[in-house]
Amino acid sequence: MTCKMWVWVFIMIGLDAAGPVSNSGKSCSVLGKSWMAARASRVIMDESALERYFDDSIANDSGFLNGDDADLPSTPDPLPRSPKPSGELADDLDLSFLPDELSANACDAEGSGSGGGVALASHHEAEAEDRPSSSSSHLANDSAIFCPMTPMTPMTPMTPMTERSGIVPQLQNIVSTVNLGCPLDLKFIALQARNAEYNPKRFAAVIMRIREPRTTALIFSSGKMVCTGAKSEEQSRLAARKYARVVQKLGFPARFLDFKIQNMVASCDVCFPIRLEGLVLTHQQFSSYEPELFPGLIYRMVKPRIVLLIFVSGKVVLTGAKERGEIYEAFENIYPILRGFRKQ
Amino acid sequence: MSTAGLKCPCCGSSSIVEDDHHAHRQMVCVDCGAVVSEGALTHDFFEGTDVSYSRTTAVSKKPCLNQIKGQQRLTALCRVLRVNAEVETLSSTYFAQAYEHESFLKVSLQKKENLAGCCVLVSCRQLNWPVTMGTIACLLEADIAILGAVYQEMMKVLKVEAPLVNVSDVMEAHCQEYKISSLDVHEDLAEDRKDLNKRALSLVELAADSWILTGRQPVPLMMATVYLAWQSLNPNHIRLKVSLEKFCLIAKVKKNRVAVKRVSEIKGVLCKLGKEIPWVTDPVTSDNVVKHVGDIVKNRYALLRSAMRSHEEAMRDSQEEEVNPSEADDQTPHATSENSEMAEQPREGNESNANQNPVPNWGKRMLFAPPCVIHPKRRRAALEGLKDVTGDEDISDGEIESYIRTPREAREFAVTQKAWLSQSEEAKCQ
Repeated sequence: MTCKMWVWVFIMIGLDAAGPVSNSGKSCSVLGKSWMAARASRVIMDESALERYFDDSIANDSGFLNGDDADLPSTPDPLPRSPKPSGELADDLDLSFLPDELSANACDAEGSGSGGGVALASHHEAEAEDRPSSSSSHLANDSAIFCPMTPMTPMTPMTPMTERSGIVPQLQNIVSTVNLGCPLDLKFIALQARNAEYNPKRFAAVIMRIREPRTTALIFSSGKMVCTGAKSEEQSRLAARKYARVVQKLGFPARFLDFKIQNMVASCDVCFPIRLEGLVLTHQQFSSYEPELFPGLIYRMVKPRIVLLIFVSGKVVLTGAKERGEIYEAFENIYPILRGFRKQ
Repeated sequence: MSTAGLKCPCCGSSSIVEDDHHAHRQMVCVDCGAVVSEGALTHDFFEGTDVSYSRTTAVSKKPCLNQIKGQQRLTALCRVLRVNAEVETLSSTYFAQAYEHESFLKVSLQKKENLAGCCVLVSCRQLNWPVTMGTIACLLEADIAILGAVYQEMMKVLKVEAPLVNVSDVMEAHCQEYKISSLDVHEDLAEDRKDLNKRALSLVELAADSWILTGRQPVPLMMATVYLAWQSLNPNHIRLKVSLEKFCLIAKVKKNRVAVKRVSEIKGVLCKLGKEIPWVTDPVTSDNVVKHVGDIVKNRYALLRSAMRSHEEAMRDSQEEEVNPSEADDQTPHATSENSEMAEQPREGNESNANQNPVPNWGKRMLFAPPCVIHPKRRRAALEGLKDVTGDEDISDGEIESYIRTPREAREFAVTQKAWLSQSEEAKCQ
């Protein structure tokens, strides 16, 4: 297979992965994930976080120590603590940012100290990591599902989630569609436009290109248009508008209806080699690795619905996203899995 | 009854009556007596039951001829590969299932043949019978890319999963292809199959550990390991002179361009390990490494560990060297400016190198890394496009005008296009 065919494979994989419209709670899920991370990290508590936590608690009054006593049953407590009554706790802790039900629960529930302590631990964790203030408000939102005493049941392999990867996937290609809203005479367009090519025997659309942003558009006689090659969502929109303007200038009553991003492709490098054979053994239900056909492993992630091409060199290609956040989320999901296959 | 509208062809009168001539109904013209038309000899419908032919005589759906042929091909493949009965029955059921599916109904015969091969492949994989796609492609005389496409489609249709083929398992079957037992070739070149297999297997494991196997086609690598194993089992001057191509001729195996590259890659790994052998004093190069392959393979784990250790030490030493000039620089700020400049320049050179290509550095720093990392493909520098675009900016008219032809240009283009089309049509006619 030639390179060109593999490009079509990528596009088809991306289109194949394009599923139903993602839910509106996308941003919530990203933040929710970081909140989960905070909670998980509190439970696992690596050394640095533990130090920070103790520093904070020592700097503030002893109400924190009481909270800490109940919510870290696994870690041995270096400092002896005496349980204080919960009423005192409520006075010491600033629960003003939480909704009334949680502060009430914090007083009433069995693990009341732990509830307040945990909320505060998360809050401090949030402060320590300089999260925006929205995190505290959505801590309140998620308080309804917050149960301090339930055991953690992780859905992904348990790895210390305190470390982010620090790698940001770079967008390489955006495919978008727009409806110009009027039928077009493709022969006329191919004749009058400099940057157009039209070969009806090969393909039933005009292929038009512009220089800035460097993109290609397929313009169909129904008035629908596909714009490819942009490196960001805004660039794709600008390019589509330029194509619409060209069509307008040629005399058609073109409009700009239903602009939608259909697919986003990104790539990045984790900078260590990956044992693809091991990965396909442990994640068989998601991966497909056929070295005789293609050198990379095709990983079909379920949530978010993204297809990743993972290569032995450590380079990862992510495709099938409708939004940027899906790509970042998918990469943060796969990075700990790949780290597990790092050592020779 | 008299019919309206009928005219007698002889006299043209329109008075035609129905008359019975010995119970044979006829239309007769009254004026001239010509017969206009005759009825059918029988016009009674056969008053039988209301059952159609297909319902009374239909047989249960038989597999069509192509499907039967496909099944025969499938069984032939199984016999050639000498798989057990379980694999054969499983592949037959898969074939019957997939053949009925809509995506395989109206396809070319070649694709149906490929489908048979893919069913065999899937069943072999599921029942732990090591067969590569290359073997099936070879037997069917099909292109492996097309076979691969059919394989992926079939997996989706049947909704099955197949575990990965382990190269070590396939090695034995692969070694059998090479005809270099003492019956086939000269004594000097002959080699026992079991020894060859064992040595080649350990070389494959070594390649897998040092990142040469992952992501690559298995067949060229297997060929390379068999060749090196054959050379190293008896490294006399005759064998060492034989190139890979000649070896393929001797063993009556189809040669492979990529296997040559694999040979050099494996030799590189062997050299790195050969350096660690304590009793070898001469420098180990790719020319004389074959002699030591036996020792390397026997002690490969120990050699790997020692190689990693010495590599780590070397890295630490080089890092200290980098740090030292900068320390000297700090300590003597008032020293002669020439000295400090000289110390700075190589450091800056290192830094600029690191800035330009930070990514391939990690491959060069490791002892064993995938070859695609050590020798990265040179990519065209990505054109720096627009950054910080909002998408709602104003679009200048001038820019859009630049994409539209002037009326004169359009006319000229239309004329030349017509001329060119007529020319090509003339050429076609001639």
